[in-house]
Amino acid sequence: MMYNPIMFAVYIHIPFCRTRCAYCDFVSDAIAGGVPDEYVAAVCREMSAFEGPDTAGSVYFGGGTPSLLTPAQVARMLATARRRFCLDAAEITLEANPDDLSRAKLEAWRDAGVNRLSIGVQSFDDDVLRYLGRRHNAAAAQRACEWVAESFENWSLDLIFGAHPVDRWAATLEQARALAPPHVSAYGLTYEAGTPFEQRSADAVDDEAWLALYQQTEEALPGYDHYEISNYAMPGRASRHNLVYWHNEAYAGFGTAAYSFVAGVRARNLLRTRDYLERPGVKAESLVLTEAEVRVETLIQHFRLREGLSTEAYARRFGRRIEDDFGTALDSLKARGLLAEANGRLFPTREGFCLNNEIGLALVGS
Amino acid sequence: MSWTQEKIRNFCIIAHIDHGKSTLADRLLQMTGTVDMRNLKEQTLDTMDIERERGITIKAVSVQMRYTAEDGQEYLLHLIDTPGHVDFSYEVSRSLAACEGALLLVDAAQGVQAQTLANAYKAVDQSLEIIPVINKVDLASADVDGARRQIEEVIGLDASDAILTSAKTGLGAREVLEAIVKRVPHPKGHPDDPLRALIYDAKYNTYRGVIVYVRVVDGMMKAGQRVMMMSTGTKYEITEVGIFTPEMQPKPELGTGEVGYLICNIKTLVDTKVGDTVTDAVNPAPKPLPGYEEVKPVVFCGMYPAVTTDYNELRDALDKLKLNDASFEYKADSSDALGLGFRLGFLGLLHMEIIQERLEREFDLTIVATMPNVAYRVTKSNGDIIVIEKASQMPDQAEIDQVEEPYIEADILCPTEYVSAVIELCKKKRGQHVNVTYIDARRCMVVYHIPLAEIVIDFYDKLKSYTRGYGSLDYRLIGYRAGELVKLDILLNDEPVDALSTIVHRDNAQYVGRALAQKLRKLIPRQQFEVAIQAAINRRIIVRETVKAVRKNVTAKCYGGDITRKRKLLEKQKEGKKRMKQVGTVEVPQEAFMALLKVNEESER
Ligand SMILES: Nc1nc2c(ncn2[C@@H]2O[C@H](COP(=O)(O)OP(=O)(O)O)[C@@H](O)[C@H]2O)c(=O)[nH]1
Ligand code: SF4
Repeated sequence: MMYNPIMFAVYIHIPFCRTRCAYCDFVSDAIAGGVPDEYVAAVCREMSAFEGPDTAGSVYFGGGTPSLLTPAQVARMLATARRRFCLDAAEITLEANPDDLSRAKLEAWRDAGVNRLSIGVQSFDDDVLRYLGRRHNAAAAQRACEWVAESFENWSLDLIFGAHPVDRWAATLEQARALAPPHVSAYGLTYEAGTPFEQRSADAVDDEAWLALYQQTEEALPGYDHYEISNYAMPGRASRHNLVYWHNEAYAGFGTAAYSFVAGVRARNLLRTRDYLERPGVKAESLVLTEAEVRVETLIQHFRLREGLSTEAYARRFGRRIEDDFGTALDSLKARGLLAEANGRLFPTREGFCLNNEIGLALVGS
Repeated sequence: MSWTQEKIRNFCIIAHIDHGKSTLADRLLQMTGTVDMRNLKEQTLDTMDIERERGITIKAVSVQMRYTAEDGQEYLLHLIDTPGHVDFSYEVSRSLAACEGALLLVDAAQGVQAQTLANAYKAVDQSLEIIPVINKVDLASADVDGARRQIEEVIGLDASDAILTSAKTGLGAREVLEAIVKRVPHPKGHPDDPLRALIYDAKYNTYRGVIVYVRVVDGMMKAGQRVMMMSTGTKYEITEVGIFTPEMQPKPELGTGEVGYLICNIKTLVDTKVGDTVTDAVNPAPKPLPGYEEVKPVVFCGMYPAVTTDYNELRDALDKLKLNDASFEYKADSSDALGLGFRLGFLGLLHMEIIQERLEREFDLTIVATMPNVAYRVTKSNGDIIVIEKASQMPDQAEIDQVEEPYIEADILCPTEYVSAVIELCKKKRGQHVNVTYIDARRCMVVYHIPLAEIVIDFYDKLKSYTRGYGSLDYRLIGYRAGELVKLDILLNDEPVDALSTIVHRDNAQYVGRALAQKLRKLIPRQQFEVAIQAAINRRIIVRETVKAVRKNVTAKCYGGDITRKRKLLEKQKEGKKRMKQVGTVEVPQEAFMALLKVNEESER
């Protein structure tokens, strides 16, 4: 399968949650009410002032918890986005938590322009949800998914495996499949440093158990294309937004702590919302990537994808031969069984999916 | 003008580390107006980083002072600073041979230590006049009577007239100078005899070549003179002679009894042998000065560039270091596991560490060093005797008649309450009891014969921990003894790794093999394939450990900015990987080749 590269994507970060989940390392603050209009206004200002591409193939409301946005706030940001970018045929995604949803809200968002919904279910098991510190329970998640399926043709279900009790994964998968979501993201739980879960890293499953869960996931989703390490899609339903990242294409990020990658510069907005509100669009961290760095990152990212990278696309993009730049590393990766080559494409093997960091390690500094 | 010998005094200071040798020397230089404090510090700073960090002297420092004594006469005093570590004990004995007297400096709070004792005995053997000096009397914890008693009972010197000093405040410094003038005999060489000068040290200087430190015993030397090294017969023309102030200061000549330097056209230190006699080439002395020995390395290890392509750089670095230190030896060597590298020989373990550190610091090389070992003497069944410097040279068990290893006599001085701990340590190290002497009510001298192999590994550190830092050690080689020694091999994925082989005593082989395999399991990172670690004695596998394969190493999510963090992380890991050595298909970290050291450490816990 070939994916048409979307040249440019827009990400809007909503750094607010009802409460913080113990495993999460996203930039977000717990707030009682909804998203302050002041924040929405700041994002709009930043977006209007943006200098860069004028056509976007995707807008993505990520978080945090974008489902804390009212339909009016979503509409306002999308209106601003449309004034700044041509969004014809754009994929417009909003991330939602099950406990924020209602039929009416979903319809209203859709009317505001959202055409893809990503719902953070994580699990259909109450014990697992408690372990993760999520606010919703399994029943609410099930109900929310049904509503989402009614309102959106294009939607995605987020799941987490490896959380305790680990052995309930099959049941969650079964329940997910029954909902027939067009897209599933299934992430292995990571005990991120700097989160309360760091202390619990002893709970982490070993490699063998992880592999078993990973395999279970693949087997439970037979009709899906396992197109990225943690992502599964029905035909034509791959996340166009995320493909921009994995193709290492350009994107603009608006809002607190959002990253942009435009013209070879990767930059991040201010980390704290209170600072961001004062100076939206000011970069806290700005990294001018060398061509060589871009090349390495392009490979690392592409090798997260089942389709990998065509040698011809590489040559077109960089005007160089991939063998000249990475020959030795690629040969050794092929010898180690982590990459394969066919029909002019280099792509990760099944083992290469599970050992993606080994691929990266071989590529950096080579 | 040469000084008459009656006005010359040559002396050194014997002291344990930190007992105040440098501080006292500073005082003496200051009082004689030789140099102000600041200049002296600069001079001291001229030494190697490693010397300063470890508080040891490796190279002798010499200085000439002029002192007008209370008798109104001006005297020429030469202070010869001696190296301060047992690895360099031959150099110490040569420095002592250049003197007529020694200050025996003892910290009033610490008392006599083994190193001091050993050097004091050497000084007594060479009939030096010894002046006991008890330093740091200003400290509240000073026990002057105790120190005095120890000097008398332990060393057997009359300490009734020991000088009490505080090098810190300057107290007693003048008395020290007076005692040097009054008690140290003046040199009694023969000015009219052919030249004989003792080489007690040598340094390499990039601009000037080799600088030879000498004590003129008979005759005199001057620039332009043709001289000969008596051990080799090599002849040179002297281009410069001079004294140390402590900077080098050229002089027209060095007279009988004087200490100074000479420069002739010597290109490398290898041609300058400490202990050798310099004589006149035209009118040579009939006999050299006594006591010359060739120093031979006793500890060996392999050093390999972590990155194979650095081989030439490593060779160049060794060539350069050799210019500064003639006492280590190296020759090209190769290992199946580590590729091309070198086999190096050292005077001792500290000496080895110094060389390794200098390679890494001064030449920015990453070195993989193998476990240090001693040279074994193997008698084969056919009667041949071979000396092996690495375990992989060990012949097959069937061809071996006997294996001998070098032994040392260890003198360990410790407070009485630690005697049983020290004995336990010596026994653990396969030591043979010689005797234990109670030197006074508080201190003991424990003498053991111990295989050198046991000392090179971690004996110092162990001794320190067994005696809470109070034990001190001196040793000398006493020859080879037969032992039940076997070769212990380590196999990674069924392939023996020569660089991990060691020779151990049969009784310890099981234990060491097990511990080593376990240690390696912890050190070798998980790789894409399972790694089997086996230990074998005479080809018989005694233990197997496995490093499980990595099955999963993946970041679940990688969106927007994550890639920067990820690339940085990967780059860091890659850097770490550079310190790994590829052995067959297995990546082995450098530390693994030193794992045996860790095994010993852990066995103590
Ligand atoms: N209190 C006191 N400290 C001293 C005296 N002499 C030396 N020290 C200190 O002891 C330490 C070791 O002295 P140093 O001369 O470097 O010892 P070295 O290792 O024998 O050369 C230093 O911190 C000195 O300042 C002394 O007479 N009294
Ligand atoms: S997981 Fe989602 S809801 Fe939970 S704290 Fe993180 S961003 Fe907020």
